[in-house]
Amino acid sequence: MPEQLAENSDPSTLHHAVACPFCGLLCDDLVVAETRGALSVTDNGCAKARIAYARPVVAASPLVNGKPASLDDALNAAARQLKRSRQPLFGGFGTDIDGARAALALAERCGAIVDHLHGRALAHNVRVLQTRGLATTTLAEVRNRADLVVLVGADINDDFHEFARRCLRPSSALAEERLATRRVFHLGPAREAPRQPGVDAESIACSREEVLDLVNALRALRLQRQPRLRGKRLQAVSNLAGAIAASEYAVFVWTPGQLGEDGDLVIGAVCDLIADINRSKRAAGLALGGNDGGQSAIATAAWLTGYPLQLSYAGRTLEYDPLRYDTARLLAAGAVDSLLWVSTFNPHPAPVTDLPQTVIGMPTAQASSMRGVYLPAGTPGLDHRGQLIRTDGVVALPLPQLRDVALPSAAFLLHEIAKRMG
Amino acid sequence: MAGRSITELRGGRVYDPAHGIDGVVQSIYLCDGQVVGAPSDPSDIKVSHDLSGCIVMAGGIDIHTHIGGGKVNLARMMLPEDHRQDLVARGRHPRMGSGHAAPSTLTVGYRYAEMGYTACFEPAMLAANARQAHLEMGDTPIVDKGAYVLLGNDDLMLRMLAGKEPGVKVRDYIAWTLRAAQAMAIKVVNPGGINAFKFNQRKLDLDEQNAYYGITPRQVLLALADGIRELGLPHPLHIHGCNLGVPGNLDTTLATIAALDGLPAHLTHVQFHSYGTEGDRKFSSGAAAVAEAVNRSPNISMDVGQILFGQTVTESGDSMRQYAGSAFGSPKKSVLMDIECDAGCGVVPFKYKDKNFVNALQWAIGLELFLLVSDPWRLFLTTDHPNGAPFTTYPHLIRLLMDRSFRNDMLKTINPDAAAASTLASIEREYTLYEIAIMTRAGPARSLGLGNLGHLGVGARGDVAVYVDHPDRERMFTTPRFVFKAGEMIVRDGRVIASPTGATHVMRVDYDTSIERTLDAYFERYMTVSRRNLAVADGEIDGDGRGSLIAHGARRSS
Repeated sequence: MPEQLAENSDPSTLHHAVACPFCGLLCDDLVVAETRGALSVTDNGCAKARIAYARPVVAASPLVNGKPASLDDALNAAARQLKRSRQPLFGGFGTDIDGARAALALAERCGAIVDHLHGRALAHNVRVLQTRGLATTTLAEVRNRADLVVLVGADINDDFHEFARRCLRPSSALAEERLATRRVFHLGPAREAPRQPGVDAESIACSREEVLDLVNALRALRLQRQPRLRGKRLQAVSNLAGAIAASEYAVFVWTPGQLGEDGDLVIGAVCDLIADINRSKRAAGLALGGNDGGQSAIATAAWLTGYPLQLSYAGRTLEYDPLRYDTARLLAAGAVDSLLWVSTFNPHPAPVTDLPQTVIGMPTAQASSMRGVYLPAGTPGLDHRGQLIRTDGVVALPLPQLRDVALPSAAFLLHEIAKRMG
Repeated sequence: MAGRSITELRGGRVYDPAHGIDGVVQSIYLCDGQVVGAPSDPSDIKVSHDLSGCIVMAGGIDIHTHIGGGKVNLARMMLPEDHRQDLVARGRHPRMGSGHAAPSTLTVGYRYAEMGYTACFEPAMLAANARQAHLEMGDTPIVDKGAYVLLGNDDLMLRMLAGKEPGVKVRDYIAWTLRAAQAMAIKVVNPGGINAFKFNQRKLDLDEQNAYYGITPRQVLLALADGIRELGLPHPLHIHGCNLGVPGNLDTTLATIAALDGLPAHLTHVQFHSYGTEGDRKFSSGAAAVAEAVNRSPNISMDVGQILFGQTVTESGDSMRQYAGSAFGSPKKSVLMDIECDAGCGVVPFKYKDKNFVNALQWAIGLELFLLVSDPWRLFLTTDHPNGAPFTTYPHLIRLLMDRSFRNDMLKTINPDAAAASTLASIEREYTLYEIAIMTRAGPARSLGLGNLGHLGVGARGDVAVYVDHPDRERMFTTPRFVFKAGEMIVRDGRVIASPTGATHVMRVDYDTSIERTLDAYFERYMTVSRRNLAVADGEIDGDGRGSLIAHGARRSS
């Protein structure tokens, strides 16, 4: 009987070369099995990806003030909320490029302020770009050309885990001799040094706060000035300075999201060092970040408006001000009167606030108790197709649809809200 | 034929060089998005615009303008100060945005349309960054667009040349790259030099070897130009040569033309490649020598890359030369990128000053080139936006070309030593409207093989620009009376009134798909994305009704 045969056969589908949307690396070598809507990573991908793909699909209904509502009613309620709002804030912004386009179009329509969940981290890099500029490189250049990689306060054990396998110690490289002699250094707390097998990083242990001092010491040594270091630490830094002097292509890696409030100072100091090296040899930087669609959010905002985030559509003209339009600051100051929160890659809850909210994305515990509208949305690359830009700001990848669980995209929901704005 | 709805553009003076029409007063009829013949039944004319006193041309086509892709977006992010002084207020355009040298995609589309331009071609798309370039172009309203993809600095091409792979393999790789990146043509930037810079070479002359691969720029140029000719692509290899901006590079440019030895090629932003080393400051105009070489080489076309004074930003794939130029940037900040074993880029803000000797002479050199190259069919009007100046300066540039007394008045205001070092004052040529229409419409369309664009014959796309004839050509070209896109009025009196979505033009040529297996292995072994994911699918451009694709084919060999 054909029906029995169908039941007995393995109902799972294997998807190859899947791009993973769960961190800024967008590794695209995952093999993902789909079985009746359940996903599991069967090859490649990090632990974080495996967990994220395996999250069960929660059957969630749209909610209005905690009560189940039809999609249409919920969209109408979201539109009413925005129309009533004198100063809306669009936060989270955890979506793909189409979602970012739709969010910016709606923001323009209702005069909203726009920020990303990782807005402060993204702003560190942007500030350095705007004040002194940057010399950067991309993942394939690291993989193939680097003979020295320095992780500057960068912990790649959880986020960006696959950077080790795919770029630091790949199985092959165009410049084989450089891969063979490649040295990897880690600057930061010893417990954060890369633990991936085979990385074999030379660790220069220091606290997070001291990273900036060590970078400055490296610069001082290059300029043949006396650094303010002594003993073993001076020895370790001198050793790294020697490795830099001997290298043909040095790459300095930082993670803006792991640097503190003064992250831009650290990045700026590293960029000064890179600029010094580039006078006679070659060196470049690489920021690992852009999770939750962050790189795509600032890129899309930049091409549609000229400005990266954080920006405001409230006035007659666009206004860009990363300090003033920061989510936490705005909420603390009571400067906005409604919040539209988008988080489709991870269940990041909206910040705690009494303001009326519309939340688009994965169901969170708070959704049922909040004042406002909850709209379940699919995850790009799992539930619908999409596109994202990688952390190096160059490569954009297509995201596939792996299953059909009838969850709309954030872009669709945002367009529908816009249509209802009248 | 009942129910035809024809728009009549009545009695304008028409400049349509593709059909040899030079200022003839005649009517143009638009129906279903196209130019049609005069209707036999006058009642089919549902709308009629009286264009007496107006100049009528096809919509403008910019053959070389940096409007989308990573380096353009880096420039935007880097320069909030650029936007702050040129913000587009709510209501001015269908969507808000900003300028000036690094405008938002929305503002680019509207402003091009407001000047009567209806198609723009991004000349420096990287295969590694093609998806983003198309996303940005997809958000550029009204105008049609397309892009040239870079080859010749990718490690794969240099390995192929070093490994003496047969030409057919190189051709398959070119054709595959066109398809994967959804490109219209192939460009090479500082042939092999961007790659050499990654190996710390700071210059690479035409016959100098890449330290790692042992390949010279000459070999790269010839392999690409020959491959493109064999494939029958309408637009020849688009060349940004070696030694951009280096005094004395006119010799490199002449040597490049000689090296091509009759192979079709397009030399871009030649102004930046026409410098001599004469005079006290060891910087002089090489325009006459370059123009002469172009004039006697029918295989060569070029665009100028005119500079105009003011603040702009330079965005280039030429990381080697941009790094060298970053010392002269203003404000002092720059981006330098090594990109994905594919290419590179550099972004350096720059302020061209009329009182600065070098800048003033660059200005004069560009104009000399325009005026000394005799065939407007082989010379296209560009500022290499935004590298020489933002595209919004085109009307001013057109006036400089058409109005000798205005040009000479401007010449009197620049650095006097530069003015004295230039032959500009003695050049009497003034461009005609017919020649302007060639350089900005018919010529680019012919060079790119755009078929129904760039002219006003029956069957042409209804992309039409109507200007009020005014002796001040800058004023005239700044504010068209009407602009039509595919038959729809989109601009009235210089204001956007409708914002349709333009098409994306791509070139498709057949290739032996076995190259894909070679590429799969290469990508698997060395790259950080798979070959399949690198390729941009049609649906990413024309899916969900967002845009549309127009695929062009190879030129049939005669």
